[in-house]
This record gives sequence, C-alpha cells and structure tokens, in this order.
Amino acid sequence: MTGDTTAGDTTAGDTTAGDATAGDATAVDTLIDHRQVRRAIEHYYEQGFTDGLPVVPPTESYLAEFLAQVDRSPDEVVATMPHLNRQCTVRVAAINSIMAGCLPEYFPVVVAILDALRVDVGARGATRFSSGLWQSTTGTVPITVVNGPVRLRLGFNCQGNIFGPGFRPNATIGRTLRLIALNALGLKPHVLDQSTQGTPAKYTCCVAENEEESPWEPLSVEAGYGPDASTVSFMMMRSTMHIEARSATRPEHLLNDVANSVGRTGVLYSEKTACLVVVSPEHAQLLASQGWGKNDVKEYLAANAQCTREALERAGKTGISRDMHWLVPSDHPDALAGEEPHFELRGGTEVHHVLSSPDDVVVIVAGAANAGVSTVVELMGGSSAPSGRGGGRVPAMSEILLRGASA
Amino acid sequence: MSVCTDKFRMTAEAMARLHGFEGYRFVTVAHPIASLELPELANLAAGALDEVLAILGVTR
Repeated sequence: MTGDTTAGDTTAGDTTAGDATAGDATAVDTLIDHRQVRRAIEHYYEQGFTDGLPVVPPTESYLAEFLAQVDRSPDEVVATMPHLNRQCTVRVAAINSIMAGCLPEYFPVVVAILDALRVDVGARGATRFSSGLWQSTTGTVPITVVNGPVRLRLGFNCQGNIFGPGFRPNATIGRTLRLIALNALGLKPHVLDQSTQGTPAKYTCCVAENEEESPWEPLSVEAGYGPDASTVSFMMMRSTMHIEARSATRPEHLLNDVANSVGRTGVLYSEKTACLVVVSPEHAQLLASQGWGKNDVKEYLAANAQCTREALERAGKTGISRDMHWLVPSDHPDALAGEEPHFELRGGTEVHHVLSSPDDVVVIVAGAANAGVSTVVELMGGSSAPSGRGGGRVPAMSEILLRGASA
Repeated sequence: MSVCTDKFRMTAEAMARLHGFEGYRFVTVAHPIASLELPELANLAAGALDEVLAILGVTR
C-alpha cells in the first residue's frame, strides 16, 4: 500500500469532522476501504513517523507528482546534520511533505527552505542545520517567512491569524520542516531533541508577508531580490510576544512598547538577543505615515531595547559565566570575577542594551489591518547573516523556483 | 572523557550510537548543576571521581 516510501533518513472511524458539509466525507467510503485508510494511518504512528497528528500516507505515484515539481535529483542531499551523522534527500523531503499534507505544487517551497538552511552563516562554514540549536533545551524552532508572488499563487495566508490555523500552505509547509527534523534528522523529543518545554510553533510556523498592505519594501527586496522573485527566509525563534498598542498615535510610543518587550530580562541567557518584529499593517501605516522606514525602526529598537541594572540584579543576571558567557548571579560559582554586562548611564539610570546593532532586528509586515496588534518574535542568537544579494544583513534566504511558470 | 547530568543520559547514548560508539562509557552526575553552590559542586565531583578514573583506566 505504501511501497518503500519510508519517511526516515537515507542513511539509515468516523469520517465526519464537524459541520454538515464536512459530513460529505462519508462519500469517500464508496471509493476506498475505510479500514485500509485507518491501517495506513496507524502504520505511520507505529513507525514513529508522526508529530502526534495523523499523517497522509504516501504512495509511489503521489511521490512522483512531488518530485516532478523540482529540477533536482531525488537522491540529492538537501539537508545534513553532520554532528548527528544524519541527512535528508530530495526524495525523503518529498515523502515528508506528503505526510504533512502538502500539495505537490508546494514542494518547490519546501526545497527552497532546505536550500536556505544550507546558507553559510559564519566564517567557520556553519549552516543552520549544523547548529545544535535544533536540539536546544530552549526549544528553538524554525520560522520561515514567504515573500513574492508565490504567496498569492499558492494561497498563503498573510492577512489575519497569521500564526494560527486554517490555511493549507502555511500549515503543511511548516509542518513538513518539523517532520523532516523528526524523521530524517532523528530529532525525536526526549532523545535528540532536548527541549525543556518547546513551543506550539514546533508543530508548524510558516508566515507570509502582507506585501499588499505594507508601506515598505518586502523582506525579499530588502535582501536584493527583484519584486517578482518569490523567496523563503529562515530564522530560529524562541517565542512570540504580543504587542498590544491599539491606541498608539506616535511612532515613539509604539516602538517604546516594542523595545520594552524586546528588552525583558527573561529572554536573556547571554548579554544580547535578536528579534523579528512582525508589524501589523495598522502599525506599519502609523509608522510610515510619519516618515519612518524599516531601517528607522531597526535603529530605534537597537538604541532603546534595554533593561536596567536594577532589573538584571533582581533577576540575578549581573554576572557572566566563565566559558559560555551566560548571565548568572554575580556570586555564582561560575561567574567571572569583576565581569558584568555592559551598562551605560541614561537619564541617571544604568541600562544595558540587549541588541548589538540594528542588524539584529528583522522587520516584516503581516496580519490583518484590523487592530494595533503586532508581534515580537524572539530569535536565538544573531538573526542575520550577510546573505543578501545587495550585501545586506538579512536572514538566511533562498529563491523559490517553480517549474513551468514564473513564481 | 565525557561527564553530563543524568537528565541527558538518553541523549548522550543516542549521540554515541549515531557515531558508531554503541556502549560508549561516560559519567553522569545528578541534575541540575547550573544552580548549585560551590561546595555542592565539589561534592558531586568527588562522588564521580572513582567512576571517571575507572573509565580512564586509572586505579587508586
């Protein structure tokens, strides 16, 4: 029934779902044997190939439809995790895409994400996949941002409930990445995934920029791609934080609200953090109408995202540990004598800036234009790398190449 | 010679397996260590010493 479409690495009842229209699914019973469907679904649970939710059983014929969407060899390795001795081929990525519920035409997006993950992010040749962040106790999780015409062509949601359910491309493409991590790379919870608590975004987290209601250039254009290019960007996130600023009328008020959230002590395991600010269209219009561009937002946040010495002292984070340079109590056994975060005097108060530079802020516009609600996505480590075509510092990014048509 | 806390035993064993070192010997100590005071850490280290030396092939 499922052939040899295994989901792992290459090295190694009731059909009604809700309302009356969903009840029409019973019609499927006349076409296929329900017990066979149930057996296939249970098979994948038994193999440990799911994220806890049922998966779509792959077949060789359906797999061929996915592979036909890209000009890549099925055996090409598109993801490697050398420190775990694991890898993922195009074929295995396609199998996991099927299982996640993707349509075949989504597969080029999946491949582009995997390509973005291989973008060199450091002088030592590190890539996003070679990072231990995928196994971190923090529970770090990938977030991908989709830009360009592909959003409209495939029906990505970018206009409301962008972190929520209801839209197949966002839900299934994000889920594919998690299934690849689980099945191809072996990052199973309690074993190689050491997350202490994780985040709901571990199921799926794929957002698209609301370019139509943004006053600013899209992230892809900022990175040097043309306006007709479709791209995916990739970042490692920790959590999302709502910014409730429904009555803001001045950019400084809004951005101080954001900066106060970015600079919370709880986010700091080391001296610095990074963030993706998902600005709602209403907030973006407020900023742009008073002459603020993306770079102005980044510079303002870098200058104002801070916490006071008193706040860090109350949180026991004014010492710096010996090897990891984590923030620890100043009297901690591992604290370096005489070392502390950098403070500067501002308005008579000692403050610590939590962002190294504007480069550690990524700005996109997404969501509905119905309220002054934005989101700060806390990122792990530096968010950006010099991967932009224009030499700019942007997240790891790759172009989506759709076969037979302009993306 | 690797030392980790007992909460990471399963991960450490899996890592060893992935690299072809099934049964690789390492030492575990009680979790946690990040929030211990120096005397408590010293006690943990002293308690683990015999096992560390045994793995290294040292007899006292």
